[in-house]
Amino acid sequence: MPGSEVLLGLFFALCLAGVALACLLPERRQPSVLAWLGSAAAVVLILATGWQLLSEQPFALRLWPMLPYGTLGIAMDPLSALFGLVVGLVFLPVSVFSGRYVLKYLEDYSLGYFCVLYFGFLAALVLVLVASDVVLLVLAWEVMSVLSYLLVNYDDKGDEGTRAGFLMLAMSEAGTIAIVIAVAIVANASGRIDFAGIRAAVPHLEGAAGLTVFLLAFVGFGVKAGLIPLNSWLPRAHPVAPTNVSALLSGVMVNLGIYGILRIDVDLLPPIDVGRGLLVLAVGSISALVGILYATIQTDLKRMLAHSTIENMGIVTAALGAGMVFSAAGFSALAGMALITALYHMVNHSLYKTLLFLGSGAVETGAGSRDLDRLGGLASRMPWTSVLFLAGAWSIAGLPPFNGFVSEWLTLQTILRSAVLSSAGVKIVFALAGAMLALTAGLAVTCFVKAFAMGFLGHARSPDARDAREVRPMVRAPMAFLAVCCVLLGVLPTYTIPVLDCAAAPLARASGKDALVPPFFRLPSAGGEGLPGPFVREFHDLGAQIGREVLPGRSLVVLHRGGERNPVVFAMSTSYMVVVLAILLILAYLAFGRATRRRTVARRPAWDGGLRRLRPQLTYTATGFSNPVRVVFHALLRPTVIEETTEAVAEHFRTAVRREYAEVHVVDRLVTHPIIAGTRRLAKTLRMMHIGRVNAYAAYVLVTVLATLVVGQGGDILSRLMTGLGISPE
Amino acid sequence: MTKWVAKGLRTGIKSTRYPDTLEPAPGVSPGRPAGTHLDDDESGARLCGLCPTGALEAEENGVAVLLDRCVHCFRCLRGDAPAVVRWEGDYEWAAIEREAEDARRRLGRAFGRSLHIRFLDAGACGACMSEARQLNNPYYNIHRLGFFITPTPRHADILLVAGPLTDAMRVPLQKTYDAMPSPKRVVAIGACALSGGVFGPSFVSAGGVGELLPVDVVVPGCPPPPLAILHGLLVAVARKPPGPLRSAAPDAG
Repeated sequence: MPGSEVLLGLFFALCLAGVALACLLPERRQPSVLAWLGSAAAVVLILATGWQLLSEQPFALRLWPMLPYGTLGIAMDPLSALFGLVVGLVFLPVSVFSGRYVLKYLEDYSLGYFCVLYFGFLAALVLVLVASDVVLLVLAWEVMSVLSYLLVNYDDKGDEGTRAGFLMLAMSEAGTIAIVIAVAIVANASGRIDFAGIRAAVPHLEGAAGLTVFLLAFVGFGVKAGLIPLNSWLPRAHPVAPTNVSALLSGVMVNLGIYGILRIDVDLLPPIDVGRGLLVLAVGSISALVGILYATIQTDLKRMLAHSTIENMGIVTAALGAGMVFSAAGFSALAGMALITALYHMVNHSLYKTLLFLGSGAVETGAGSRDLDRLGGLASRMPWTSVLFLAGAWSIAGLPPFNGFVSEWLTLQTILRSAVLSSAGVKIVFALAGAMLALTAGLAVTCFVKAFAMGFLGHARSPDARDAREVRPMVRAPMAFLAVCCVLLGVLPTYTIPVLDCAAAPLARASGKDALVPPFFRLPSAGGEGLPGPFVREFHDLGAQIGREVLPGRSLVVLHRGGERNPVVFAMSTSYMVVVLAILLILAYLAFGRATRRRTVARRPAWDGGLRRLRPQLTYTATGFSNPVRVVFHALLRPTVIEETTEAVAEHFRTAVRREYAEVHVVDRLVTHPIIAGTRRLAKTLRMMHIGRVNAYAAYVLVTVLATLVVGQGGDILSRLMTGLGISPE
Repeated sequence: MTKWVAKGLRTGIKSTRYPDTLEPAPGVSPGRPAGTHLDDDESGARLCGLCPTGALEAEENGVAVLLDRCVHCFRCLRGDAPAVVRWEGDYEWAAIEREAEDARRRLGRAFGRSLHIRFLDAGACGACMSEARQLNNPYYNIHRLGFFITPTPRHADILLVAGPLTDAMRVPLQKTYDAMPSPKRVVAIGACALSGGVFGPSFVSAGGVGELLPVDVVVPGCPPPPLAILHGLLVAVARKPPGPLRSAAPDAG
C-alpha cells in the first residue's frame, strides 16, 4: 500500500490528465472522460484520505520557499483528510452521474470546457484542504471560487442566471477580501505563513487583533458556508446551476466554509473567549431556523434544497459554536463531543444533500420539471428514483434509522449539556439555540414530507409528470451508493464516531471518543479502561457486550457518561434499534395478516367528493401543504400577495381568481437590499462631482495632490517634487 | 355560566318523546290523504282528474291513494273538489319498497345504536333538505337515538337521498353509493325521490332514486316532516315497523 502522499500525487496527476484529455479529445468522448477519470480521481482521493485518517501519520511536503516567512507546502492532517474524504465520497457518485447528465448539453455547449472546469474545481477543492500555509490556502480558495462561479454559469439561464452568478461572485470576493485581511493580520503577528509556525506563535494574538481575525475569518468563510446573513447567493445560484454542479456546491463547497472556520478560528486561534463561541452558536441556530423556514415554503425542488443547505450548515455551525464555548469554558471532552457532532452532521449533510440533488436532477430529466406543484404521482412512474429520493428525504428529515437522526440527536444532546456551564446568560443562549434547533428539526420533517408526498405521491399535475420515464441505471447507481452510505452512517454511528474523533480531537485538545462510545467490546467482563465496575456490570446485564466476539470496534451504543448521581446522561443505539424495529415490523405484519385472514378487502377509488372526474389541479399541492407554516410565520416571511380577479356579468360574478405569493427573503429585506440601496445612494452623491468641465477636473487633481501632500509627510515629498521639477526650495 | 345551567335545568327536556310515545303536538305533520270511500263513481273519477301527479286511483268503492306520488297540494281537500278525501294527521309514513326483510334485520342488529348517515341532495327543491336539517336540532335530536350525520360516505351506513335524481347528480350519487362500505342501505325521502314527484321522469331527471340505486326504505311526503324521516331511519334499522305505501279505499264510510 503506497503512502497517502503518493496517492495524493496520483490524484493531482489524474486531475491534470482530465484537464489535458478535455482539451484533446472530441466532444462526444467527454462524458466518458468525466465519468471514468472523475470517479477514478475520487476513488484515489478516498483511498489517500482514508489511509491518512486510519494511519494517523500526518505528512508534509515543502513546495516553494518564501523566505523569511516560511515555505509554501501541502500537508494532510486528520482534519484535511476528513474533509478530503467527504470530497471524494461526493465526487465519486457525482462523476458517474455527470457522465450521463452532461449529454443534454452535447449540442449546445462545449463539454470540453465543462470537463476542464470540473477537474480544475476538484483539484482546487483538494488543494484548499491540503494547503499547509495561508498563502496557498488563499490562492486555492480564490481559484475554487472563480471555478465554481464559472460552473454555475455554465448553462445559460438568461438574466436570472447572470444575476445569480454575479451575486455569487461578488459575495465570494467580498469574503475572500475578509479572509485575506484576516490571514494577513495573523501572518504579520506571527511572522510566519505556515500553519505550524502560526500555531506556535499565535496564542499571543489576543485582544482586538485576535477578535478582528476571528470575525473576519468567520465572515469570509461564512459566505461560502451560506450562513445568515451571508446566504443571499446560495438559494439563487443553486437553481440556475446544472444539477451536478448544484450537488457539488451543496455537497462539498459549503463544507469548505466550515473547514475555513475550523482551521482559522479553532485550530490556529484557540477558542479562549466564550462570547465568540456564543456568536457562532447564535448565527448557526438562526441560520438553521431561517433556512428551513424558507425551504418549507418553496415549491421549486432545487431552491428548496438550497435553503435546506443553509439550514444544515446552520446546525453544523451551531454544534461548532457549542464546541467553542465548551472549549473556552474548559470542558475539553464536551468540546470534542460537540466537534464530533458538527463533523458528523457535515458528513451526513454532504451525503444526503448530494443524493437529493441527484434525485432532483433525475426528476427533472424524467418528468421535465422540478416544480413540486407540477409534479406528483412519480412513485409509480419512477419507482427507483422515488425510493432513493425517499431515503434522502428520510435522512435529511432526521428520522431513524438514517444518518440524519444520529447527528441531529447528538446536536440537541450536546446543546443540552450546557447544564454543566456556570454562567446563567450562556445557559439562556444555549436554551434558545436548542429551542430553535428543535423547531428546525420539526420543520425539516414537514419540509421533506412535502417534498416527497407532493412530488412522488398522488396524481400527476402536469402532462410531463404523467408521462415521466424512469432514469437510466447509470443515473440511479450513484444515488443508490449515496443511499447506502446514508444507511450505514445511520446504523453504525459507533464505528463512525472514532474516525471523526481523529479529526476533532486535535482541535478540541481532548478526545470525545470515550465520552461518546464506551469501549464495551474491549472490556473484560467487569471494570477496566476507566469505567467503574458497577456501571460496566449493569450494562453487561443489559447485554451491551453481546457480539463482542464477532464485531470489531468499541460497542454498538452511543452513550454519554455523567457523574456519580447521574451515571448515564444520554444513550442511544441505532444499531439495536434497527434490529428491534425490523423484528417488530415483521411480527406486526404477521399478526395483522393473521388477524385479517378471513377479511375480504374491497378496493374502491379514492373519494373525490362525487366529482365527475378528480382533476389533478384539485388535489393537495405543495403550496397548500406548506401554507400553515406560511401563515404561522407570517410576521417573518411577510409575503406580498398579488391577486388578479377576472369578473364578468355586472362586475360581481368572479369567473377566475389568480393569486400569487412572492416572498423577499428576510436577509435580503433587512441586510442585502439596504446595503445595495446605500451603495447606490453613495454613488449618486459622488456622481455630482462629474459636472463635465475640464477646469473642474483639473481642480480635483490639484486638490487631491495637495491633500496627499498635507496628509502624507508633506514637506519631504514636496521638496523632492520641487527638486525633481528643477525648482530649488530656496 | 351558573345562570346558563340554572336556565337549562328550569327549561327541562324539550326534545320530542318519539319513538317512545307518539308525538301529540299539533302542526308537526301536514297530514296526508288516505283512501276514501265514495258512493258515486263519477266524483271519484273527477277527483282523480284533479290530482296533478296521479296519486289518486279510482277503485270500485272509492279512491285509493298512491302515497309515493302525493305532493300535498290539497286540491282533493279544497272546497271546489267534488268530494273531499279523508285526511290523516299522523307521520309514521315510512314504507318498504323492496322485499329485503332479512337483510334489513341484519343491519338493524349491528347498527342499532350507532348509525352514520350521509345525506345527499339529488336535485331536490330544498324543502326535503330543510326538513332533514331539523333532525339534528335540539327538538328532534337524533343523537339520542344513536344516529349521526357524517360528511363522508366512507363512514356512512345509510344514504339518505332527496330529489328526483337529476342527470347532473347521477354520477355523484353512484359514486357516493360506491364509496360506502358494506353493509349499506338507501333511504329515499320525498315524493321526488320516490316517483319523480311533480317533475316525474323527464329530460333532465330520472324520476326517482330507485332508477339508479336499490332503495330499501321510502319516506313519502312533500316534504316529509322530520318525524317521518326519523321513522324512516328507525324502519331501516328495524326498530319500528313500516307503514303502507298505498292507502286503499275502505269498504264503508
